[in-house]
Amino acid sequence: MAFEPREEQKVLKYEELRIYSDAELHNYTDEELKNFKVKHDIPDVDELEKGPWPSFVADTKREALHRKKLAKDRMMIEADVAEDLLGQLQVSFDDGETHWKHGGIVGVFGYGGGVIGRYSDLHERFPSIAHFHTMRVNQTMSKFYNTDYLRCLCDLWEYRGSGLMNLHGSTGDIIFLGTFTEQLEPVFYELGHVLQQDLGGSGSNLRTPSCCLGKARCEYACIDTQDMCYELTNHYQDELHRPAFPYKFKFKFDGCPNGCVASIARSDMSYIGTWRDNIRIDQEAVKAYIGGEIPPNAGAHAGRDWGKFDIQKEVINLCPTQCMWMEKGKLMIDDKECTRCMHCINVMPRALRPGKDTGCSILFGAKAPILEGAQMSVLTIPFVKCESPYDNIKAIVEKVWDWWMEEGKNRERLGELIQRYGIPKFLEVLEIPPMPQMVTEPRSNPYIFWKSEDVPGGFERDINVYRAKHKR
Amino acid sequence: MEEMKKAILEFAETNKKTKFYFNDIEKAVQKVIPGAKAREIKKAATALINEEKLIYFSTGSSTMYGLKGRGVTEDH
Repeated sequence: MAFEPREEQKVLKYEELRIYSDAELHNYTDEELKNFKVKHDIPDVDELEKGPWPSFVADTKREALHRKKLAKDRMMIEADVAEDLLGQLQVSFDDGETHWKHGGIVGVFGYGGGVIGRYSDLHERFPSIAHFHTMRVNQTMSKFYNTDYLRCLCDLWEYRGSGLMNLHGSTGDIIFLGTFTEQLEPVFYELGHVLQQDLGGSGSNLRTPSCCLGKARCEYACIDTQDMCYELTNHYQDELHRPAFPYKFKFKFDGCPNGCVASIARSDMSYIGTWRDNIRIDQEAVKAYIGGEIPPNAGAHAGRDWGKFDIQKEVINLCPTQCMWMEKGKLMIDDKECTRCMHCINVMPRALRPGKDTGCSILFGAKAPILEGAQMSVLTIPFVKCESPYDNIKAIVEKVWDWWMEEGKNRERLGELIQRYGIPKFLEVLEIPPMPQMVTEPRSNPYIFWKSEDVPGGFERDINVYRAKHKR
Repeated sequence: MEEMKKAILEFAETNKKTKFYFNDIEKAVQKVIPGAKAREIKKAATALINEEKLIYFSTGSSTMYGLKGRGVTEDH
C-alpha cells in the first residue's frame, strides 16, 4: 500500500507564498561577490575558504552580501547578522574559546523543545548576533520535499531569521540558525499554520524520528519505514514536545540491514528491517552475473576495470558466516547461518533478494560518546512484525520508557542504564526470555547470567566454596 | 491533578535550586502523594506550563523546569 498522510495536505505554491521577488533573490553579481569584504577583519576565518572543499565561510559571505543589498525593511532582524557571525568566529579563534552562551528560557509557548537558546557574550561588539537562537524543523519523512516547499522555508528564514540554515542536522531536522527571541513565535506560526510543518525535538525529549527512503524508492526495504516513522511521530507528539525523560531519546528506522540512516549507531531504539524466511535466489540471474551479462553492484564502482566478476572471490569467500557455496552450477545458501550482512544481495541485486516474511529487528542503546564512550545498539528483539498501526511496537516502546523514566538518572541515556543494570534486567523489563540472537555485535558473547529459577531443576552454589579459591 | 499541581508548585517555590530536572519533580510529588505515576505528574507539569506558572529551561541537550519569576528568568 502506498504511504498516505493521515490528514489532508495543502499543496504549497511558492508563487503564492513567496516573500521575495526574483530580483531580490538574485541581487548581486559574481564580480561583486569577488570584491566583497565583510566589515570585520577575519584573516583566520578566510583561511577556511582555501583548499579543495566547499566552505561554510564562502556560503556565509554570499549570504552577508545578499542581505547587505536587500532593503532594510525586507528583513525582521539586522542585515549584518552573517557578518557579525564571522566576526565573532575570528575573535573565538584569537581567544581560543567560544563566545556563545547556550540554553535558556526561549521556546514557543507550550513546547519544551525545538528551540535552542543561543546568545553572544560579545553582544556589544556584535549586536546583530546578541541572540542567535536555533530552531529545529521536523523534516519530512525520508526528507522528501519539493522545491516549492524548500523555497518557502528559505524565504521565511531570510525574512525572520539570519537566512543561514543547516540541511540537515544529525537528528535529521532542518536547522534554522540564528534569530532573535521575538521572531520565534511568528516563525512557529508560519510553519504550523501556513507550511503545515512542526518543530522537531530538542532537550530531554523524544527527538525527531528519522527514516531511510524505505519502500518509496528502495527494493531492499523490508518495512515501510516512512509509514512507521510518521505513525510513531504522530502517536508520540507529547513525548516529542513536552520533555519528561531523563535525557534525549532517539528512534531511527532502517528499511534493511544496509542501515542507510545508521540507526544502529545513532539511536536509542533502532528499527532495522529484516526477514525470517530465506533469501530469494534467481539462479538464472546468478548465471548471468557469473557470465558477465549483468554488472555486479548494479554497475557501481564502474570507474575502473576490476576484471571479470568472480563469484567465489567477491561474494562467497566474503560471506562472514561462510554460509554460501556453489553446487552443480547453483548458488546455495544455508539461511539459518545468515547474519544479514547484505553483502551478497548488494553485489547481485538481480539474483538475490531479501525474503518475503519481513518485519524488523529492534536494537537498543546506541549513543555518541558522552559518558561511557560511543556504543552501538544491542540486538534485543531479533524479529517482530511491523504492520500499521504498530500496536505491538508501541507496547515495547512504552515498557522501555516506563523503566527508563523510573530508573534512569538525570542525563543518563538508555544505553547507559542498560549497561548499569545489565541485559538480564532489561529483558525482565521487556518480559522476553534470553535468546542466542541477542548480541551486541555479530559473533560476540551476550554474557547472560542465569538465575537458579531460570534453569530447569535449578542449581545451588555456595559462595564460600567459590571464595576459597577466588579471593576478592 | 490539583493535588499534584499544588505539590509541584510547592516544590518549585521552596527548592533551593531554581531549575530542576523532571526526575526531581517526580520524587518530590511522590513524597506527598505516594505511588503517583510519572505520566500523571507530567500531565500536571504540562498543565502548569500552559497556565504560565512553570517554565521550561532548555540547554539544547537536556530540559529543566523552573518557576516563572524565580531565579534567572530574563532572556540573558
